[in-house]
Amino acid sequence: MSDAGKSGAALAAGVDRDLVFEIEQFLYREARLLDEERYDEWLATMAPDVHYWMPGIQARYRADKADLISRTRMAYFDDDLDYLTKRVERAKQTTAWAEDPPTRHFHMVSNIEVEATEIPDEWVVHSLVLNLRHRNEAEEQTLTARRQDLVRRDETGALKLARRLIRLQQTVLQAKNMNAFL
Amino acid sequence: MSAPFAKGPAAPADLPRDEAPAPAPGPGPLDEAAVRAMVDSEQGWIDRRIFWDPQVYALEMERTFARCWIFVAHDSQIPEVGDFLTTYVGEDAVIVARARDRQVHAFINSCSHRGNRVCFAEAGSARRFTCNFHGWSYALDGSLSGVTAEELYKDNPTFDRSKLGLHKARVESHGGMHFACFDPEAPSLADYLGEFRWYLDVLLDNDEGGIEFVDGNIKSRLKCNWKFPAEDFVGDAYHATWTHSSALQALFGNIPTMKADRSFQVNANGHGWDFGLDFISNAATLCEPEIVEYLRENEVRFAERLGKMRSRMVGSLSSATVFPNLSFLAGHNTFRTWNPKGPAETELHTWVFLNRNAPDSLKEKYRRGVMLTFSPAGIFEMDDGENFEHCTASNAGVVTRRRKLHTGLGLGSEVEHPELKGNVHRNQVNEANHRAFYQRWTDLMTAPNWADVPVR
Repeated sequence: MSDAGKSGAALAAGVDRDLVFEIEQFLYREARLLDEERYDEWLATMAPDVHYWMPGIQARYRADKADLISRTRMAYFDDDLDYLTKRVERAKQTTAWAEDPPTRHFHMVSNIEVEATEIPDEWVVHSLVLNLRHRNEAEEQTLTARRQDLVRRDETGALKLARRLIRLQQTVLQAKNMNAFL
Repeated sequence: MSAPFAKGPAAPADLPRDEAPAPAPGPGPLDEAAVRAMVDSEQGWIDRRIFWDPQVYALEMERTFARCWIFVAHDSQIPEVGDFLTTYVGEDAVIVARARDRQVHAFINSCSHRGNRVCFAEAGSARRFTCNFHGWSYALDGSLSGVTAEELYKDNPTFDRSKLGLHKARVESHGGMHFACFDPEAPSLADYLGEFRWYLDVLLDNDEGGIEFVDGNIKSRLKCNWKFPAEDFVGDAYHATWTHSSALQALFGNIPTMKADRSFQVNANGHGWDFGLDFISNAATLCEPEIVEYLRENEVRFAERLGKMRSRMVGSLSSATVFPNLSFLAGHNTFRTWNPKGPAETELHTWVFLNRNAPDSLKEKYRRGVMLTFSPAGIFEMDDGENFEHCTASNAGVVTRRRKLHTGLGLGSEVEHPELKGNVHRNQVNEANHRAFYQRWTDLMTAPNWADVPVR
C-alpha cells in the first residue's frame, strides 16, 4: 500500500468527492461514538473480520534490519471482534473503577486521505488521530497516532472498518493505562 | 516567642480519639532509627513517608537498587553475539549485550569522557557502542575499544584505556534470567534469591527447554511510587477479586473464590509469591483454550519434574515479586519490572514468556492473551494503575501522612509445611508477603554493609 509512483490523479481514480466526504463522515462519527462511550454502536461499525492493531513501537537504529513493527511483537491491541467485544464488556461493568467517574475522551481526526484498492468496495484510508483523556481533578493524557484503515462497503451499503493499524507516536506510553480506542 | 495567633478554644472532649499508633514523624533527618520507625513488619504498620519522601527515595536508590540484583534480560532476548538491549538499574541507564565470549555483559550507558549516552536504541545488534560526542567507542563487553585521534593522548599520564571502559556490573543468571548488580560486596545471585530459587523453577524449569521471551515489550509510565506495584505483586491476592471485578465479570460472569486452606503465601529474603493450588486459574483468564489444554496435557510431566506440590503452581491464581522490582504472574506468563523515576513515577516494562518447547502456536496465544489482560491496555491491568497512582498522590497531604497504613492482614498465619520452602503462611489472601517485603527493605535501608543484612 505504498504511495510510491502514484500521481495525484491515479490516487483520485475511483475515489470521487462524494466518497471522500462519506468516509470522512464515517470517521468523524466513529470518533463521536467513542467520545460518548456508545461502544455497542461503535462495535457495529466493524466488519466481522476486523483486525484492530496497535503495535508496540520501538526506538531502533536506522541501520537495524528488523521491521519497525511486527505482528510477532507485543502490542497494545492485536484484536479481532471477539477481543474488542470483551474490552467493551469490561468498560460497561459498574465495577470498572477506572471509568467511574467517567474518563472524558476527546478524539480529533484529521489529514484524511482515501485511496482506491484492487477491490472496488474497499479503500485504504490514512488519518491522524489526537486523543485527550481527562480524568478526575487534573489528570490529562495525550495520545497521538497515525492510522491506516481499510474501509469496506458491505452488502447492505454501509461502510465498515475492516482493518486498522494504529502507529502510536510514543515508544514509552506516557500514561498509567490505555483505556481508550484510537 | 509569642504565639502568632490567639489560642483557639480547646478541642471538645468527645472528638474521636486517634486509635492508630503515634503519628509518624515529620520529614526530619533520615538516620537509621528514623528509617526503622517507618516500618513495623511485626504488627503491619507502614509510614506513608516511604512512598513520598525524596530523602527516602534517594536512600533507596543507594541502598536497594545500587546494591541488589536487578533483572536486566532473559537469555532469549539477546541470543547472538552483538545482540543488545538497553534498560535501567534504578535510574541508571544500562546496556546489556552478548559479547564475543558469548557471555552477557551489563554496563552503564554513559561515556567515560563526558558522560553522554552511548546507545540510544532500545534493542538491536551492534559491533560496538560509539559516543556521538567525540567518537569514543566501546566493545560489546563495555571495554574502551577506540578513541578518536588517540595520538592526542600519547604520553598522557592519566589516560589509561584499561581504566576507561564503561562501568561494568556483575552479571549472574538463574534459569536464563540475567541479573545485574553494581555492588562488589553483594552476595551471589544464588544466595540473594535464597530459597526463592526453588519457587522460580516452577516457571523457569517446569520443562527441560526452560522458557523464552516473546519479542518486544510494552513500556508505560505510571505516576506512582515503585513500591506500590511491587508490593501488589508480592502478595496482594486480596485486591484481585475487587479491583479486577469488572474484567472477571466481563470474561466469566462471576468472581472466583480463593480457598484459604488450599492457598499460601511464601517468601524468602523479601521475595514473595502468593498462590493457590488450583493449577490453572491464572492461565484460564487468558481466554485461550489451547493454553489450558497444553497445561492439562503436561500436568503429569510438570509433577515429575517439580513434585506434585510445586506443579500445582504452574498456572494457578497467583502473583509474585523478586525484591525489589521484578514481578510476574504464573499462568499469565508475564514478567515485568517497575523502574523508579523519582518518588512518584515508575516506568513499567512488560514481557510475555512461555516454555521454549511449547507448540509454536502457543506463542501467539500467550502474546495476545497477556495483551488482553495484563498490559497497559489489558482489561485487568488498567484498573491497577488507577489504584497505584492515587495511593501515591494522596500522600502529598501533610495531615494525610500522619496516619500510618495498616498492613496487618493474616498476622499469625505462619505455618510449618513439610514441603514448601522459605517462610510459609496459609491463605494467599494475606499481607504476610507485604510485611516480609518491607522487612527486607528496612534491612537494606539500615545496613551500611551487606554483611549487616540478615538472611530472611
